[in-house]
Amino acid sequence: MKLLNLLTSVYLIIIMLALLIGGFFIYRKLGAEIDFELGMELDRQIEAYAERIRQGIPPEALVNERLEINELPFQLEEENLSIRDTIAYHDPLSREEKQLKASRSFKIENKHYRISYYNLVVEAEDITETVVYTMLVVFFIQLVFLGLFFRGISNWILRPFQHTLQEIQQFNFQTNKPLRFQESKVSEFNHLNEFLERMTQKLLKDYRQIKEFSENISHEIQTPAAVVSGKLENLMNLEMTEEQAHLIYSAYQNNERIHQIVRSLSLLAKLENEEFEPPSEIDLSKILIKNIELLSELITLSELKLQTEIKPQVLVKMHPFIAEIMINNLLGNAIKHNYKGGWIKIHLDSQQMIIKNSGSSLQNNPSELIERFKKESDKPESVGLGLAIVNQICKTYQFSFGYATDVSIHTTTIDFK
Amino acid sequence: MKILLIEDNQELTQNIIQYLSHEGIICEVAGNLFDAQDKILSFEYDCVLLDLMLPDGNGLSFLEILKKLKVRPNVLIISAKNSLDDKINGLDLGADDYLPKPFHLSELLARLKAIYRRSKLSGSDEVNFNEIAIQLQNLQAKVHGKPLDLTKKEFDLLVFLITNKNRVLGKNAIAQHLWGDYTDNLPSFDFIYQHIKNLRKKIAEAGGNDYLTTVYGIGYKFGEPQS
Repeated sequence: MKLLNLLTSVYLIIIMLALLIGGFFIYRKLGAEIDFELGMELDRQIEAYAERIRQGIPPEALVNERLEINELPFQLEEENLSIRDTIAYHDPLSREEKQLKASRSFKIENKHYRISYYNLVVEAEDITETVVYTMLVVFFIQLVFLGLFFRGISNWILRPFQHTLQEIQQFNFQTNKPLRFQESKVSEFNHLNEFLERMTQKLLKDYRQIKEFSENISHEIQTPAAVVSGKLENLMNLEMTEEQAHLIYSAYQNNERIHQIVRSLSLLAKLENEEFEPPSEIDLSKILIKNIELLSELITLSELKLQTEIKPQVLVKMHPFIAEIMINNLLGNAIKHNYKGGWIKIHLDSQQMIIKNSGSSLQNNPSELIERFKKESDKPESVGLGLAIVNQICKTYQFSFGYATDVSIHTTTIDFK
Repeated sequence: MKILLIEDNQELTQNIIQYLSHEGIICEVAGNLFDAQDKILSFEYDCVLLDLMLPDGNGLSFLEILKKLKVRPNVLIISAKNSLDDKINGLDLGADDYLPKPFHLSELLARLKAIYRRSKLSGSDEVNFNEIAIQLQNLQAKVHGKPLDLTKKEFDLLVFLITNKNRVLGKNAIAQHLWGDYTDNLPSFDFIYQHIKNLRKKIAEAGGNDYLTTVYGIGYKFGEPQS
């Protein structure tokens, strides 16, 4: 729900409530006021009749359908004005109607008269109708004003906020620019903008530092590791006993693993930092075929049956270097986690790439193998980052990556969307 | 062959000098760009091994200086800054090859010799070892003049072995030479064994000597059998 719509609806609900409550009080006040005024009017009428009796007109001559004059015993106290509702026959309408009756007694020339005067009451329905009508008019006027002015004005007030939202949406690490906002007249917006400016500056700084760190760490670890490699290589070429050879080999192997891990981690970091913008669409079919050729000797040596179904000219937005790593990793896995006489099936079309291969059934959950440093085999030359890299590549390019096993069939699927 | 090594890490420098000197390669060292400029202007080199992160600047700027020389040496960039941009920039600026650190010394030697062969011996692009003759241009290997039927990888392997003759080559070095950096998920050692076995067989069938020895399971060595 948009903020403006929310504000409008809340405002409308509040107006409705206010009108309802207001209407109720207006209804009550209006009723009371009408009754009071009517009573005053009846009182004046009674007073006028009393005056006429005083002037000597016999009361019998005055009586009409609205007027009632009774004689009371003289010794009774003079009654004050009393007003009450009553149902009485109404001539012009020829039916019983709710009427207001005012009565008062007067002592005129030794006689005590009670004069009662009736009048039609303004009916409750009429008052309700009036009140509801008035309130509805007010409500519609409000609605029109809301539509014309409130929304426009709110939009105008919220414009800096909308602008801020847009800026945040467009923020990315590649452009390397912290957000900058125009000064707003609303201090809350200025606070928000200030905070966002500071935050994006901090984000970019951290991002740069992480980037530098990942570059530096690969340099800082690789240099000493390279020195160690070189020393061991030179050592291998000196006279050595078998025991020494095994020690050297073990050291050399483990040093190689350090190389592998650092190289893979720095690649992962680069992918996470989105350092590889897709320059243009590349022909994945060509890259796939090229990589299959590069590995074809291995496939033959492993006595694997290869079945390919590759549509030509599958264009994907991806960095060619990354595409090679991805394919190389997947094909490598398909060859490695296979058995002699097994098979590999490769399928590529414009929607997806599927690589299926035979292999032993897994002990681990397939989704766990996608995580870093999780591996099924205990082969020392594997560091367990292959699928993590493929997964990260797919995340970077917003492909969906799936890895599933069905007893002895391993399937990796990449949907390009 | 005479090369100039521009590298600030002394240990690495020592490793390289030690490995290359066995091949009769004369290696002079400059620890920074200033010394390197001095040397390149006073002497002639066949090849420059250039590190990019140097104490007094980026090695890429050195490529500009090399451009102005009358006789331009070949350049092999060796850098730990394994970034794609550096590789592309370096090759654009006239470097002949780019080898990311950490590298195997055997790989360095192979690349160095390949560059050297390409530029200096472009006519007679041949590698010989006793009865084995390899023509790199048309990917042909002959034993006693008889052509061997080698696969692409077997051919690469043979060239790599002969280039590093009499040296122990670790399995990892061979794997990376044949399949590149991302050999992580290949059961490469089994394949190396297979390739070596096939290569041996093919050379023997053509009447060649068996020059390949296994060194305590570390790796392989190609050279005159020691008596």
